[in-house]
Amino acid sequence: MKSMTRGQWFSFTDSLIQDNTRDIIGVQSKGKRFHFALLENAHDLRLDHDVTLLPPKKFLLPTHEELIRFDISRPFEVSSSKPDRAQILIGVHPYDVIAIQQLDAVYQNPPVDDIYAARRKNTLIIASDILTIASRSFAGSLGNHVVTSGYDLLVTDLGDIVVIDEGTSAGRELLKSFGECREALTPEIERVTQLRAELPGRYRHKLKVDKWQWTELLLNNSTHPLWEKNARKCLSCGTCTLVCPTCFCYDVDDVMDINMKEGTRVRTWDSCLLRDFTLIGSGEIFRQAPVDRYRHRFYRKGVYLPQRFGFVACVGCGRCATQCLSDIADPLNVMNTLAASSVETRLDLPIPHKKPHHLQGPIFLPKSATIIRREKMTQTDTFYEIELDSRKPLGHQPGQFVEVSIFGMGEAPISVASAPEPGRNSFDLLVRSVGNVTTHLQSLTVGDKIGIRGPFGNGFDAASLRKRDLMFIAGGCGMAPMRSLVKYVLAHRSEFGEVSLLYGCKDPDSILFNADLNVWKTRTDIVQKFTVDDCPAGASWDGNIGVITDLIPLIDFDPGKTTAIIVGPPVMYRFVIKNLKDRGMPDDNIIVSLERRMKCGVGKCGHCQINGVYVCLEGPVFNYADIKDLPEAF
Amino acid sequence: MKPRVAVFDFASCEGCELQLFNLEEKFLDLIKIVDVVSFREGMKEHSDLYDIAVIDGSIMRPMDVERLKIIRKKAKTVVALGACACIGGVNKLRNQWTSENVRREVYGDANLEGNPLFDIFPARAVDEVVKVDYYVPGCPIDRAEFTKVITAVIMGREPRLPSYPVCVECKLRENQCVFELGMFCLGPITRAGCNAICPTHRKGCAGCRGFLEDANMDAFKDVLRKYKIPMDEWLKCFDMFNCKIKREK
Repeated sequence: MKSMTRGQWFSFTDSLIQDNTRDIIGVQSKGKRFHFALLENAHDLRLDHDVTLLPPKKFLLPTHEELIRFDISRPFEVSSSKPDRAQILIGVHPYDVIAIQQLDAVYQNPPVDDIYAARRKNTLIIASDILTIASRSFAGSLGNHVVTSGYDLLVTDLGDIVVIDEGTSAGRELLKSFGECREALTPEIERVTQLRAELPGRYRHKLKVDKWQWTELLLNNSTHPLWEKNARKCLSCGTCTLVCPTCFCYDVDDVMDINMKEGTRVRTWDSCLLRDFTLIGSGEIFRQAPVDRYRHRFYRKGVYLPQRFGFVACVGCGRCATQCLSDIADPLNVMNTLAASSVETRLDLPIPHKKPHHLQGPIFLPKSATIIRREKMTQTDTFYEIELDSRKPLGHQPGQFVEVSIFGMGEAPISVASAPEPGRNSFDLLVRSVGNVTTHLQSLTVGDKIGIRGPFGNGFDAASLRKRDLMFIAGGCGMAPMRSLVKYVLAHRSEFGEVSLLYGCKDPDSILFNADLNVWKTRTDIVQKFTVDDCPAGASWDGNIGVITDLIPLIDFDPGKTTAIIVGPPVMYRFVIKNLKDRGMPDDNIIVSLERRMKCGVGKCGHCQINGVYVCLEGPVFNYADIKDLPEAF
Repeated sequence: MKPRVAVFDFASCEGCELQLFNLEEKFLDLIKIVDVVSFREGMKEHSDLYDIAVIDGSIMRPMDVERLKIIRKKAKTVVALGACACIGGVNKLRNQWTSENVRREVYGDANLEGNPLFDIFPARAVDEVVKVDYYVPGCPIDRAEFTKVITAVIMGREPRLPSYPVCVECKLRENQCVFELGMFCLGPITRAGCNAICPTHRKGCAGCRGFLEDANMDAFKDVLRKYKIPMDEWLKCFDMFNCKIKREK
């Protein structure tokens, strides 16, 4: 440990500012509160702050951040955002240091967010011990009032002198280059030790349940009356998540310059408390009720992130408690209430174990691709054959998806509709016009450029289907991902048992992939049955009229030997699954592919989450047995 | 061909139109991407051939209805500009009184019988008369939001207004909550998109962008009680831009 006088500490921060090679960010007063801001004068730095309005996260994951820049006046012109200047954050409290370590774990977990990683690498952290305890903080109960790693330097302001602990060699270098100090004397070190030891006792608010028990407590209390009671007071304003140092979800949107030539893709902090957070192109909202959104926030902190990363995603800073107008956001109150009145209705919310992703390079930079074939299939659906301009195959598995970019419009997740075939570099997409990107795509034609990211997600595990009888059950444009698997199976037909395809659509005109269906009709090794909800008078139709479940009794299948693969609109799953289970099909034999708002594709933005499961990482293809207990799945 | 834009004013202070000129050098960029063919506040020329009609102001009289319907027929796209056009705004305050009372209050005993200029009905937002395709809310409008909407319309992209409250933008600007400063703020129930300009300048949100359709009013009233805001102040602030009272005739 080192120590320096107040004057030397001032000179040290001042010379960091004067050096002008890095942005020096420090805690400063803002009205009667505090914030992290660019430090222009060493006198403005405060180390006696209780807590800042926003966490220092905003300098690692800015509230608004440019991901890519594009020029739509050219066929395909896009570049990554420019890296920021290096920076030093001064005055970061221990709980915020721990929150930054959590952000690091999330954003540097594969697939690594390269923009975050680059900024983080360029950031030094000068932490400071807590002198003033924030009124609603309970960091002491979580052990987050002190910290032993995660900082480059840790300063303790003892008034007359400042004691400094060197956490990293970068911190030591910084101190050597810009500061004057000496070895700390034993009495000084003792004062620091005492200050830290006395901290927990100074917290007014105490958690009555150990943080490692949060998961159990929450899983036992999903139906506790507290959720409804508090949610009635919820304004759905997102404040609790926006001021949280451990929340990290974001939204992405394209913004055009007024010259209509250049534009940027911008990511902005988002909140799972906002109604449209789970909205998908077709208009469905998966967490519509405020109570579901309210509870989700606590489950994320106490169940989902602990399951995935091994930490409780609350550091006890008290920001949410202070800033929630209705005062329902405080995790301390919620956990203490649950502990005092546990209702013990056990719920299990496992995250299925899937292959990790190892995407490399800039994850937000779309690859240039060209439309090489286009075919209008129905009034709302168009088929595209796409080739990457690198002429390399996409490298996908059946059931995976890509993010299709149209600069200025945004991105949309689209399932790949073709099977990987040896010698073929192109891939197929079927696009239904529902949102901005998909509607604009309909106007593009052969030779036009689009951007592609991916492939993403876990597709169908063809190996596990070998030797099984297969029943494909598709609804509407669910036929697109299904086609990738059907094509794969038919190309390797001898490896599988009996194969049938049940396909339902709104009306005969909505049937997709007629050309494929007609070819498959000529084969004797696949049984096909069709149904439509409605057949207008005069239309030629020889299939069934009714719901998709009408077709299941038409197939003679052995529920034990058969695997059913279901892809369709959200409403379809419940009915089809119930029907199959009534026929004696075990859960394990049912495979589904689910649609959610996969915005980033890399398990960060949070929009596609089904309870703790990221559809873009663990899905979109799931074994029903793995997710049947997730209340948000079906 | 650049899209042809016409700007029309109805009952309003025309401040939202002024906001377009306040784009300053960006206004010069704007007229590179559109042809402005009619804009009484800014030019003498007028053409009846336009693609996008931008409507400022509320609809107060039968003669306004006639004029607006003709504009709707001629335009491919109608954009409501500002609080008066989008939600009726301050003009709806007048709906608390009968038309007769309003006329007498302003013009005394003057004989206005048969003069169509004074033949008024309770104030209406534009979409209470004709279909509105897109909205640029606010009193006045946010200039950045206007350019966002107009570029989206030209690109054929649906410009979506935020469906969340002003609090979201206020938090991102790291403001101290104005309730903590002892003020009244409609931010928790008002549609965002203004970048929380009023709370950022330590003034409570007045709700000029309209209340969210799914705003939790009960919870919000509990907040007002918690911060001991006097009830008469609530009502005044609630009505300022979002007056729901309507007295016919």
